Amino acid sequence: MKTTFSKAIAAVAITATLASCSKDDGPKNPGNFILAVTPAASTGVADYLVTAGSLDTGKVSIIGNGLEQDGTYRYYLTTNNKFYSMLYGQGNPGAVTAYSIQQGSLVKLTNFQTETVQAFAPVNNDILLTKVPRSIGADSTVYTYYQVNTSTNTIGKRGTLDALAPANNGEIAHFSWLQQVGNKVFAPFFPIKNNSFDSDFHDQAWIAVYSYPDMKLEKTIKDDRTSFIGRYFVNGLGVVENGDVYAFSSSVSTTSDLVGDKNVKRFTDTKPSAITRIKAGSTEFDKSYYFDFEAKSGNYYITNWLYIGGGKFVAHIQPKAKKGAYTAGSELAIVDVNAQSVTKVTGLPKLEDISGLTTNNYTPKDGRTAYIGVNLANTKCYVYKIDASTATATQGVEVIGGKITAVQHLD
Amino acid sequence: MQFKKFLLLGILCSVFSATFSQNKSATITGKVLDEDGIALPGAIVKLQEKAITLTTDADGAFTLKNLIAGNYQLNVSSVGMLPQQKQVTVKEGSTVNVKFVLKANVQNLQSVKVYGRTASQEVNRQAFAVTAIDAKKLYNTTLDISGALDRVSGVRVRESGGVGSNFNLSLNGFSGNNIKYFIDGIPMDNFGSSFQINNIPVNIAERIEVYKGVVPMWLGSDALGGAINIVTGDRYRNYVDASYSYGSFNTHRSVVNAAVTSKGGLTVQLNAFQNYSDNNYKVQVEASDINTGAYSPKATIRRFHDTYHNEALIVNAGVVDKSFADKLLLGITLGQNYKEIQTGARMVSVFGGWHRRGNTIMPSLKYKKDNLVKGLNVTLNANYNLGTEQNIDTMNVRFDWYGNSIPNGTSGERSRTLYKYKNNNGLVTAMANYKISERQSLALSNVFSTFAREGSDAANPSNNNLERPNKTNKNVLGLGYNYDVKDVWSVTVFGKHYLQNTSVKGGPTATTSKVGYGTAVSYFVKPNLQLKSSYEHTNRLPDAIEFFGDLENQEGNLDLKPQASDNFNIGIMYDFALNDNHHFSVTGNGALRHAKDFIYTRLNNNQSKFIADNRDGVSTWGADAELRYSYKNWLNAGATVTYQYLRNLQKYEIDQTTGKYYTSVSLLYLNQMPNIPFLFGNVDASATLRDLGQKGNSFTVGTNLLYVHDFWLYWPAYGTSKGKYGIPLQIALDANAVYSFHNGRYNLGLEVKNITDALMYDNFSLQKPSRGFYLNFRYFINKQ
Repeated sequence: MKTTFSKAIAAVAITATLASCSKDDGPKNPGNFILAVTPAASTGVADYLVTAGSLDTGKVSIIGNGLEQDGTYRYYLTTNNKFYSMLYGQGNPGAVTAYSIQQGSLVKLTNFQTETVQAFAPVNNDILLTKVPRSIGADSTVYTYYQVNTSTNTIGKRGTLDALAPANNGEIAHFSWLQQVGNKVFAPFFPIKNNSFDSDFHDQAWIAVYSYPDMKLEKTIKDDRTSFIGRYFVNGLGVVENGDVYAFSSSVSTTSDLVGDKNVKRFTDTKPSAITRIKAGSTEFDKSYYFDFEAKSGNYYITNWLYIGGGKFVAHIQPKAKKGAYTAGSELAIVDVNAQSVTKVTGLPKLEDISGLTTNNYTPKDGRTAYIGVNLANTKCYVYKIDASTATATQGVEVIGGKITAVQHLD
Repeated sequence: MQFKKFLLLGILCSVFSATFSQNKSATITGKVLDEDGIALPGAIVKLQEKAITLTTDADGAFTLKNLIAGNYQLNVSSVGMLPQQKQVTVKEGSTVNVKFVLKANVQNLQSVKVYGRTASQEVNRQAFAVTAIDAKKLYNTTLDISGALDRVSGVRVRESGGVGSNFNLSLNGFSGNNIKYFIDGIPMDNFGSSFQINNIPVNIAERIEVYKGVVPMWLGSDALGGAINIVTGDRYRNYVDASYSYGSFNTHRSVVNAAVTSKGGLTVQLNAFQNYSDNNYKVQVEASDINTGAYSPKATIRRFHDTYHNEALIVNAGVVDKSFADKLLLGITLGQNYKEIQTGARMVSVFGGWHRRGNTIMPSLKYKKDNLVKGLNVTLNANYNLGTEQNIDTMNVRFDWYGNSIPNGTSGERSRTLYKYKNNNGLVTAMANYKISERQSLALSNVFSTFAREGSDAANPSNNNLERPNKTNKNVLGLGYNYDVKDVWSVTVFGKHYLQNTSVKGGPTATTSKVGYGTAVSYFVKPNLQLKSSYEHTNRLPDAIEFFGDLENQEGNLDLKPQASDNFNIGIMYDFALNDNHHFSVTGNGALRHAKDFIYTRLNNNQSKFIADNRDGVSTWGADAELRYSYKNWLNAGATVTYQYLRNLQKYEIDQTTGKYYTSVSLLYLNQMPNIPFLFGNVDASATLRDLGQKGNSFTVGTNLLYVHDFWLYWPAYGTSKGKYGIPLQIALDANAVYSFHNGRYNLGLEVKNITDALMYDNFSLQKPSRGFYLNFRYFINKQ
């Protein structure tokens, strides 16, 4: 008894000592790069935010380091030289935390509550957030939108919009993402008729065009050469220097059928994954431009992309044979929308060793460079530097303790 | 009146037997009771002249046969009671009946939590690591069962709010459904939401037994971390015990317990209780303005949608003391409850309209017969809950903490629903105990339970197709052997077989079959010094709620695997006195556990609900200790401390993207498990003034201080400590005063809970009630 008890006391003392001295409070890698890291063993817990001085070399860890965030799923956006961490909480209200970097450390600027939203994007000096309904109401079916002023970091304006108006076919127009184009907001969408994301409408690209800031639905533009633009939580639009807008379709629309007493999902697309264009100033698809991605890439489709400048995108790609509605591509390619060329990136780890690639990445928009997070199956994670001119990837900073979910930079 | 008749009958019988007996030897029979007339089993009876020592049986009775006529001195003692002597003269061939009424050794009795005294003594002296709370001592408080448990060493009751809120009990590092609850040995798994340990008043119990670790065979079931057995007892044949309390947050509680028993053995027992509370206590939250989204950090706000009430009535009627049954009772439990839901799994999600209703309609059968054939005792219990539960979320708005709301689409507050369902749970337990000889016995037990949730949702009629009837059946069969040299040592060995079938309509039936075994040993070094040790390999099958969810804040997990665990416990109990004035008792327990597929509760994705999940392995070592002290007959004090260290033994984490194990060793391997309190304790003291105002009146004041060390919400290893989420150190101080008069017939109590108005957190940082005042009135009368 005596020994048990003294053991207990000793253990308490040791624990207390460890707790008090094992942690120090400053970041171990001060710098202007921000990495969001999802811990390897924490289902249900949000990313830790760590800073880094360089993405090209070194190591950063979330063990005893990094800022803990509340919630589970967080999405990140950098605008107006502020880093926004947005909480997505199905059933819980969303929240937004804004940070700046001072002396290489993240400094929390403000915290405010929103809804859980499905699409958000910088527009002018604001962030536009939209919450999309998933079931058709008896009386009305509406989006809720928030215009957050990034200078004051408060909700400036909020409102609702008819969610059935853009598709005009009785189904909800579920925004895949939002993109400012000129002084308008383009919202590509896919129609849904229920919360299983089923639809009776396929093989069609749609973009709802809204004025800003009054959020008036000006028109819905359509193109039947591809399926819908972007994907759930993926921006399928890219605006290049001259104002032209490029759009990709993954060609992954689905619906489900009742088989016995179970709903079984099936793909409904018949058209290839492709890139189309809307010329600057126009609100119609450019019928003269069609980039058959599947044909040019040897049967790959795009799952995501990052515009790095000079008409070049770094695209996440996946063989068509491994198609999935939410599958994220594990390979990278340099896509030149002017030359209509696809070049696979070499220098990445072997495909079978990759657990996944980060989809929220950093580019200085120099037409050449991108930093992409690569998460390996053996828990090791690195940021790879992509050189678009040679289509090569070089291993950079190692991230210890979890998966990279975002690579961002503040001045 | 009746009692006198019985006594007369007894005397007549003795006279007859004395007159007509042809036997030359003499016999002394007797009974040992306490002042309330309750039998004292295990009391020591010494026949001074012949150096014979024996102990009383379960009814407090003893028999000394084959005596030579003459004068004898009988010394009777029982722990916690003052010893008594009587001179007895027996004539040749006669039988003399003696009654001992032992007075309580008040130094030990008046503590708020009585540890191993009086009726609880036998329980504590089992080979198992067990603590018995003498619930009778808490009758003048407003505690419910879970509140009483929170004062036991090794136990933490984590409630998510006020009256009627969800709770999670941890015992020596095991928590949640690792611990099974029983009422009179019957598992409470299927009693429905109207009847749970956090809404049953303490007055319903005679004592509460807390088994830490190995659970005795006769409780059956698949408890892994321990068991709580609420013993209602058949306290009195005829009595009424009624209490009512009113307090802060518009809290009303009433309890009526009563029984009538006829001469012919017909009995009707009734328990009725009611709880009502607005639960509108103050919380400190980061409250946001629903229009601008701006947060007011640390805003102090009253909860506004947390009303809870439940009403329950339990009636048992039947016969006692018949040739075919010692007890045969048919009963029904009727209960209903209403519960408003203020928050989700985290306090960031606020609700203002979502609520639940439920009822319990549960017929039951209880049968007990000792010596069916000589040495064979059998017990059979069965019940089936026909109750209905409903989840009502129809407001298409979102609320903020100020009670304001804005329209929020068409999908309710969380998920629009009017889902009404029955869990259709049933239970049959059978138990047979055969006494092979004075020292050896065999026990066989079987517990079968069934759960079949079916329902429909008027708000989502099209969803009925997705509404899947969920079924799970569970059977636990056990066989044990016990060798017991009374008051010297005892050993138990047992084996168990577990079987579970689970299915979701349209899916296959998953069958799990497991085997467990164990042993428990106890040894009395001295009569006042007992050592205990036990080991078991045990399995815990996931229960229906863990599989299918509770449709409130617990999400189901159909992939949950059974937990297997090797548990080792040691314990010591020692009582001593420095002199007549200073009495001490010390209890210590140590536990080592190694669990495979450890079942724990974590936040789900999005943190809207809790979910049960497995860790590949978790090891625990823990120790708890309790010291009690009493001075003369008026002061009592005690302290408990518990330390438990749960360590993650999952060496490889699972890649959430691929669902496969990572190939390198996890950085959390051997890290402490998060969100589990690891150091806590409490200190209590009470003083009693006797015969205050009038003889037989007493006035007691007491205080209780709870301490819980701070702990992290998420894994300790991650992140810098600055800005890391945790549950801060908590200290809660309670005080109470009770005035009893007319020999305990009337009792008036005043309680103040959380005197310092400290912020008290629990389950995943949900806040518990602020300071509250409660007034309690109790009336008790019994007639033998």
